[in-house]
Amino acid sequence: MKFTKIALAAAFTLAALGSAHAELTIGVVQPLTGPASGLGIPVKNGIMIWPKTIAGETVKLVVLDDATDPTTGVKDAQRLVTEDKVDVVVGSSATPVAIPMADVTAEAGTPQLATSPAGLPPGKDKWFFRLPQSNDVMAFAMVKHMKAQGVKTVGFLGYTDAYGELWLKALTAEGEKNGIKIVGTERFARADTSVTGQVLKLTSANPDAILIVASGSGAGMPQKAVMERGYKGKVYQTHAAATQDLMRTAGKDAEGTFVVSGPATVAEQLPDSHPSKKMAVAFVTNYEKAYGPGSRNQFAGHSADVLTVLEKAVPLALKKAKPGTPEFRSALRDAFETMGRTVISHGVLEWTPQNHWGYTNETGVMLKVVNGAFKVEQ
Amino acid sequence: MDLSITSILTLDGLTNGAIYALLGVGIVLVFTVTRVIFIPQGEFVAYGALTLAIFQTGKVPGTVWLLLILAAVAALMELVTTWRHRGSALPAVMAALRTFVPAAVVCAVSAWAGPRNLALPIQALLTVCIVTAFGPLVYRVAYQSLAGASSLVLLIVSVGVHFAMTGLGLLFFGAEGFRNPPFWDTRFALGPLALSGQTLIIFAASAALIVLLWLFFERSLYGKALRATAVNRLGARLMGISTHAAGQLTFAMAALIGALSGLLIGPTTTVFYDSGFLIGLKGFVAGVIAGLSSYPGALLGALAVGVIESFGSFWASAFKEVIVFTIVLPVLLWRSLRSGHSNEEH
Amino acid sequence: MDAVQPVAPSSPAAVPERPSALRRWGPLALVALIVALPLLPLPNFWILQLNYIGIYALPVLGLVLLTGVGGLTSFGQAAFVGIGAYTTAYLTVNLGLSPWLTLFIGLTLTGVSAAIIGAITLRMSGHYLPLATIAWALSLYYLMGNLDALGKYDGILGVKGLSVFGFELGQQRVFYVVVWAFVLLGALALLRLLDSRSGRAIRALAGGSQMAEAMGVNTLRHKVGIFVLAALLASVSGWLFAHFQRTVNPSPFGIRMGIEYLFMAVLGGAAHVWGAVAGAGIVKLLEDQLQVLLPKLIGTSGSYELIVFGILIVLVLKYLPDGVWSFIDRRLPRRQRVVDWHGAAHLPARSKPAAGQVVLEVQAIRKTFGGLVAVNDISFRIRAGQIVGLIGPNGAGKSTTFNLITGVLGMTSGAVQFRGEAIGGLSSRRIAERGVSRTFQHVKMVPDMTVLENVALGGHLRGRKGAIAAMLRIDRTEERQLLREAERQLQRVGMGDLLHEQAGNLAMGQQRLLEIARALCADPALLLLDEPAAGLRHKEKQALADVLRSLTAEGMSILLVEHDMGLVMDICDHIVVMEFGTHLMEGTPAEVQQSPKVRAAYLGTEH
Repeated sequence: MKFTKIALAAAFTLAALGSAHAELTIGVVQPLTGPASGLGIPVKNGIMIWPKTIAGETVKLVVLDDATDPTTGVKDAQRLVTEDKVDVVVGSSATPVAIPMADVTAEAGTPQLATSPAGLPPGKDKWFFRLPQSNDVMAFAMVKHMKAQGVKTVGFLGYTDAYGELWLKALTAEGEKNGIKIVGTERFARADTSVTGQVLKLTSANPDAILIVASGSGAGMPQKAVMERGYKGKVYQTHAAATQDLMRTAGKDAEGTFVVSGPATVAEQLPDSHPSKKMAVAFVTNYEKAYGPGSRNQFAGHSADVLTVLEKAVPLALKKAKPGTPEFRSALRDAFETMGRTVISHGVLEWTPQNHWGYTNETGVMLKVVNGAFKVEQ
Repeated sequence: MDLSITSILTLDGLTNGAIYALLGVGIVLVFTVTRVIFIPQGEFVAYGALTLAIFQTGKVPGTVWLLLILAAVAALMELVTTWRHRGSALPAVMAALRTFVPAAVVCAVSAWAGPRNLALPIQALLTVCIVTAFGPLVYRVAYQSLAGASSLVLLIVSVGVHFAMTGLGLLFFGAEGFRNPPFWDTRFALGPLALSGQTLIIFAASAALIVLLWLFFERSLYGKALRATAVNRLGARLMGISTHAAGQLTFAMAALIGALSGLLIGPTTTVFYDSGFLIGLKGFVAGVIAGLSSYPGALLGALAVGVIESFGSFWASAFKEVIVFTIVLPVLLWRSLRSGHSNEEH
Repeated sequence: MDAVQPVAPSSPAAVPERPSALRRWGPLALVALIVALPLLPLPNFWILQLNYIGIYALPVLGLVLLTGVGGLTSFGQAAFVGIGAYTTAYLTVNLGLSPWLTLFIGLTLTGVSAAIIGAITLRMSGHYLPLATIAWALSLYYLMGNLDALGKYDGILGVKGLSVFGFELGQQRVFYVVVWAFVLLGALALLRLLDSRSGRAIRALAGGSQMAEAMGVNTLRHKVGIFVLAALLASVSGWLFAHFQRTVNPSPFGIRMGIEYLFMAVLGGAAHVWGAVAGAGIVKLLEDQLQVLLPKLIGTSGSYELIVFGILIVLVLKYLPDGVWSFIDRRLPRRQRVVDWHGAAHLPARSKPAAGQVVLEVQAIRKTFGGLVAVNDISFRIRAGQIVGLIGPNGAGKSTTFNLITGVLGMTSGAVQFRGEAIGGLSSRRIAERGVSRTFQHVKMVPDMTVLENVALGGHLRGRKGAIAAMLRIDRTEERQLLREAERQLQRVGMGDLLHEQAGNLAMGQQRLLEIARALCADPALLLLDEPAAGLRHKEKQALADVLRSLTAEGMSILLVEHDMGLVMDICDHIVVMEFGTHLMEGTPAEVQQSPKVRAAYLGTEH
């Protein structure tokens, strides 16, 4: 430890004596292990294919695993802001981890770009910006589709964690506005091997539609369970399930399922007039070049979007201060709020001092699983 | 709550319970012979399911390389120990080779077979061979030198092994889950019940395995030798029963049970790298209900756990784990009072 | 009374007169270091780490007491941390109570639940106890994660930090003081507790309850006591954690953390109080370094930490099972007890029976195990001042008879009367209370305690001060009395110069004498000796005989089970001979030696 300190001191002195490039230190906290690793690992993969410089500044990445554990996430955030003195924190993709991290980043005056739709109490998100669409936005698109399909009653089968909880709230609120009632609420844990009891209870109420709230390959088991019960109504899934994993784990039972998604995953199918088409296609091309065809997913798109946002905001902040200073972090935060309309792969983002979510209700895209692939619903 | 729902839930509970029974039996098996409370039993299940899943995708599963590394480590340990024990190089090298070669052969065959996308039964057989080979190696590396330690120390070692195997599982299989194709893809209607072919296979396999184990331990000489080791290690050694061989054989059997369980549950649900733990815990509950000593007890306990869990998930889905783990307590208390006050180990 | 010539001790270490400097100043130096750290210009992150280490050290302290000393393995400390944390989080966030108040509410809640859980699970023996703790730790975890009021898996957010009269304590140096004040207080309390009457009783728990119960220790109550104490320490940790982390969710209170606490205790040295701090510190720093180092070495893939952690657990248990602190402790000079009890008052003595009065009356006691009759209607009596020998070939049922009389085994039928009071059916603890003391066939003592402390355990029933008095250090007067009594008994059996020797270092003869001294420390009216001469050399047997004779001269009654015929015939006034559980004959030594029945039983009949 002592040795490292001396080395660092020497490095700093050398740097201060007039080095070429200043460094932009970016802290990344993602669930690389644990239940949400299916969300965190693609984000990390997306970050790994970032360019080495942003706006002329060399990028120094510090990547830490939060293990889907809020305690670890908080510790990671504390380390990043006190030890590594990062200019911005990217994370976490697990909602229950991102939320307590906000306290730490706010106290340290470091902007946090969350890759999960984390809700905070009003007034608490001065330093907190979200990349994913809020569940409310997604629920808006989904409920609109349900209404158009004539759905009046919905059964809810979702994770017991924050993701499930937030979706339940969003669905209930949106459903009330549109005359759709939730007739059954069942919960399950990602590690569960069967949801027979829950599905039985739901199907016996015979709702018009069942919404499954799960993520990645965890969405397959409840999907199959519902179909195996012989359920004949409509099945909906959320944007965390908008990946090939759904088809891989549910097989034929995924046919005909409606999945809401951000635009990134269906880049090629977007109409040319869609604002995000170019960014989405770029994301998909880059990501699949590095990781193989079909590897695209909702979450990796966010990492591409973080890059876009930083590329736009960092030059604005550089005008006011140098990286590594509290002034720079403050300027970066201001830049996020004032940089205006930004087109990203997942839609159009516009953060304002009042709104750190930034998406409009039109962002959600309804997809349908047809022949083992996603097709945009018109 | 009508008859059809009850029967569906009961069937679901029994199906899950059959898997828990296999695991419970494995845990009882390992405990009775080695006094190790083998928490990582569930990891063998996950490894089994996921290895087959990767074979299905036409690649060589990471478990093959892990097996190779583990075999090398075990062989090295064997080399050092035998050399120190016997004083000369030749028996040491022979012992090391004996440890290394079987695993290496399995690895070689798997590496060859991986990309060839062979038929499902053959891949299943290879999976079983790979995972079973893990058993004795895990024993050799982690437990053998601690054979005389107290049950608590062995329990903590089990925890360490569990962490290591889970982490390695994530490394080799990735974070996403897999679902295997069913071995028998039909559905039978039995009144309101829809029995899938897979369910029947699960029941048949569990029953067969339990009967075989019972016969092994009650009727065969090897089985009795294993039980002797558990009762009195020194006495068994004086009778020519090697503690180490007994341990390795037991772990091989436990790994075999785990692999088979993995094959059985692979088609019924999505298996993740860390699915093994919770399944293992429930099998463990079943084993504890059996007092960690009787196989029929483990079977009954497991079926009970499965059914309780199933009904619990119907009535209070969020609390089913609480229910399952709380019922252990009165059972443990009853067991402990019945077995009388044995003096604590010291 | 004369002190009998002592048996030459086998390897007396030269006992220094003053405590070694290292031993006396070492702990103070450690404390000074802990106090000084926040004043140094260390990076803030290090202070954060130290705060975490302190918070973790508290439940590990509890585990040192519970598992390291008491021998009760618990995976459930993390669940108690959770109760403390959730209590304060819920009450401060939802009801706006002051954290200082919720600390006590949390302690009460944790204490009550620990008492309930402990009363149920601590009856379990062997490996059932750790399994039970795993089970209820899991159910508590899932309960915490599924209750709406507790925010389910996402927990409670926005917990405020601690403040005193409006002054925020923050998360850095000032908070450090609070955390480590608790840790040091906890360590001090435990150190004091372990060096007291209750402490001796607790240290005796690990060896099995038979001996402790025979000394009058209520083992279940003591087990529940240390369990609750450990839970209270965990509760304080939870309270600190909630106000430090500002957020409470179930994940740090699950089985993973429970295992980690146990690992910290084992790594640090489960039997040593300072091992808790060492263990917490090492594991925390290790985790931290792994998180930083591994990505640099192997690349950013999260699973490596878990793998390395798992492997480390296995390695530590293989090569360092006693922990790091015991490594250090062994290299320090031995702890010396300050001798300050010479002026202490005598403990009140029990009234002794008059000479010739019947002390023990055994009436047709019988014990069957299934179809086997181990003790078949044995009757005899012992008068005050007598030494009665109970002899017979192996398997005659002598030790079983002993166990029946002392309450270790239950009688199938028959009656036993001690000084006119029926004691059949009473537990061994109750029988010990009435003035019956015993030794054991296989010496049962606490090897880590000194000879003096072992003997003082025998005087457990003659003291009153409990755990709280011990921790507050208001038990010193009584403690001095007990130690004085123990010294007196040791001198009586001729071991007066071995007071401060580790009991585990004694030779067999000395161990037997230790047991006798311990039994005498209870001030009994009847002494039961189970093969006291087994393993003794000739000189040692002579010394033993002298001791026993001097005891009876003072009015003590003795029942002796023994195989050494020379000793038996030499000192016994009356002998009872058993064979196959049945009363063969009884009489004076001369009568027994002449009896053809006895000869036939031992040597076989002539053809």
